[in-house]
Amino acid sequence: MQLVQLRKHLSPTFAMPFRHRAVGGKVLVTGTEGNFALLSPEEFEAFARGAVEEGTPLYARLAERNFVRAEFDERRMVERLRARKRFLSWGPNLHIVVVTLRCNETCVYCHASRADMGATHTDMTREVADRTVDQIFATTSPDVTIEFQGGEPLVAFDGIKHIVERAREKNKAAGKRLEFTMVSNLSLMDDEKLAWLVENKVQICTSVDGPAHLHDQQRKLVGGSAHAQATRWIRRVNEAYAAMGLDPTLYHVEALLTTTRDALPRWKEIVDTYVELGCRALFLRPVDPFGFADKTAPRVEYPRREYLDFYRSAVDYMVQLNRGGTEILERFAAIFLTKILGGEDPNFLDVRSPCGAAIGQVAYNYDGKIFTCDEGRMLHEMGDDTFLVGEVAAAAEGEGSAEGAVRARYREIMGHETVRAMAIASNLDAQPDCVNCTYQPYCGVCPVHNHKTQGSIFGRMRESSLCAVHKGIQDYLFERIGSGDAGVLQVFQRWTTVRDRTHFLQTCAT
Amino acid sequence: MSPAAEVPPDVLRATVSGRTLSAIVAEGAYPLAALYGAAYVFLDRCWVLLDRPSPAEVRVSLTYKTEPPEGALDALAGELAEELVSCAWRAGVAGETRSMIEQATSRAHSGADAGPSLDDLTRYEFGDDATADPLGLAMSWEEAHATAQGAAPAPEKKEGE
Ligand code: SF4
Ligand code: SF4
Repeated sequence: MQLVQLRKHLSPTFAMPFRHRAVGGKVLVTGTEGNFALLSPEEFEAFARGAVEEGTPLYARLAERNFVRAEFDERRMVERLRARKRFLSWGPNLHIVVVTLRCNETCVYCHASRADMGATHTDMTREVADRTVDQIFATTSPDVTIEFQGGEPLVAFDGIKHIVERAREKNKAAGKRLEFTMVSNLSLMDDEKLAWLVENKVQICTSVDGPAHLHDQQRKLVGGSAHAQATRWIRRVNEAYAAMGLDPTLYHVEALLTTTRDALPRWKEIVDTYVELGCRALFLRPVDPFGFADKTAPRVEYPRREYLDFYRSAVDYMVQLNRGGTEILERFAAIFLTKILGGEDPNFLDVRSPCGAAIGQVAYNYDGKIFTCDEGRMLHEMGDDTFLVGEVAAAAEGEGSAEGAVRARYREIMGHETVRAMAIASNLDAQPDCVNCTYQPYCGVCPVHNHKTQGSIFGRMRESSLCAVHKGIQDYLFERIGSGDAGVLQVFQRWTTVRDRTHFLQTCAT
Repeated sequence: MSPAAEVPPDVLRATVSGRTLSAIVAEGAYPLAALYGAAYVFLDRCWVLLDRPSPAEVRVSLTYKTEPPEGALDALAGELAEELVSCAWRAGVAGETRSMIEQATSRAHSGADAGPSLDDLTRYEFGDDATADPLGLAMSWEEAHATAQGAAPAPEKKEGE
């Protein structure tokens, strides 16, 4: 069906605003509130002509999804839009703290630009840590997650302890919904540290690149196997949670994959590794052009169509496992499906409009420098300060109170010209390609990625490798939704269910 | 220059020369946003130029960045025509429903947060101490709302190191 052939008969008055795209033999139509319909070519033609008879099943389907102007339900649209954009009035809730750049592993794709173990000058000092915590608590968000990153954060374990204690103390007055997360390779873990982390409800997240040979080939640990260390401690942490009576389906180590070229043919081994480790989620993230990955690109990079083939195979397999009773979800799919099927925004900061740069997350470097996000900080380590927006305020800065100085700095950062520019650049209603894209209601763009790969925070989505990934994943998901397979839909619905891990909330009673 | 095949002339008049497809449309036949939207689609494959060969016409020139495959330029004409019609149609639908969407959008984004009004901003004393916050701009969510309901879901962003 060609619109050119129908041009004299297209109705501008039948439908509410929409975008459309051919997907898996059907035409996908999406609307402003994130509503969608998958139509056969004949149904789409009737829709285009405005020739859908009232009282027919197609009319009912389109009206029920708010695509028919004569049946427009404004209240429904208001509620849906509000649910999708709830995050707009919160402020930054994710605070990434780089406690050190030192790391004991060397990874082929390291995005963080790690430093050698001797580089003690990259450890965050107590003074900077204190100012950082004060700065974090200036946020207007009722939720605060402090995420410890590196380098390898366990190298600076005392720094983590200090920040946790200070933040908890500070939270007695602030009363935020406070959580802690640590992203670690786990190789420096020991029983004492584990006991402290579990007791203090610090969530643990690590990297697993798949089977041992692939993981160890990409992540070098002097004198040992990085994979053996990571998997040994994943099991130990999970056992510790189970021993506390926590539900293992909810409380377990989160692990992340960085997809390199060598990973592409190994999708099945990778999924099996995660299942075998007891992980319930797998995040099939493509490699980013930050840090060492920029230099090692000839070895680790690949065309995004190959990534999408890998993605499809892996997720098909995961769906099949789920149908057989093994629970494992893919994070990208869960993020998009929560928006597509659930009508909610899961507040994943890199796939929302506008993105979370400073208004959703803030990154604090070991030296107190503040960045719009961790990716902005990664570019700083590569010599590009575009996303540097300030420094943690000194306790006695300026004339006013210490509290006032910190709040003034918070305002400066939120109103910083870079932050405002990024909010505009990542607003999909203002992105030339996204504004016409069928996936606009569910998608997000990354100004840091655009800046790094295309020289402009606005970017050109037609040539963006990130857009190719987002588009390809959503094509896949809608193809599977449109297949009409009830089993697939059931699995997808389950992936949209978010269960709060309230145990990790610092304010809740245990 | 040879004419590109099978595109109705009331949609566009296309000719092919070397690696370039030139499409001429009558000024006003399509909204400008539709013209831009349709041309943008080709940015990955082509250098795109919009100009005005005469006061009543707009020309879209698409030049392949690499040697085009056999028949690709003719196909490009069809694709551009389809995009133009599609963008123009959707612009028509958007125009017909603009006030409905604007009303729903402003209702969705207003209400609960009780931010400062324009009157408040007019009264704002810029000479105040830098740390004072008479409008509550730096006020925490809890202070502003005095309730823990409607809290943000924990951010879903975890990075590998
Ligand atoms: S990033 Fe790409 S897939 Fe996402 S809305 Fe924009 S154009 Fe569409
Ligand atoms: S700029 Fe990119 S990395 Fe930073 S918050 Fe936005 S989407 Fe995320």
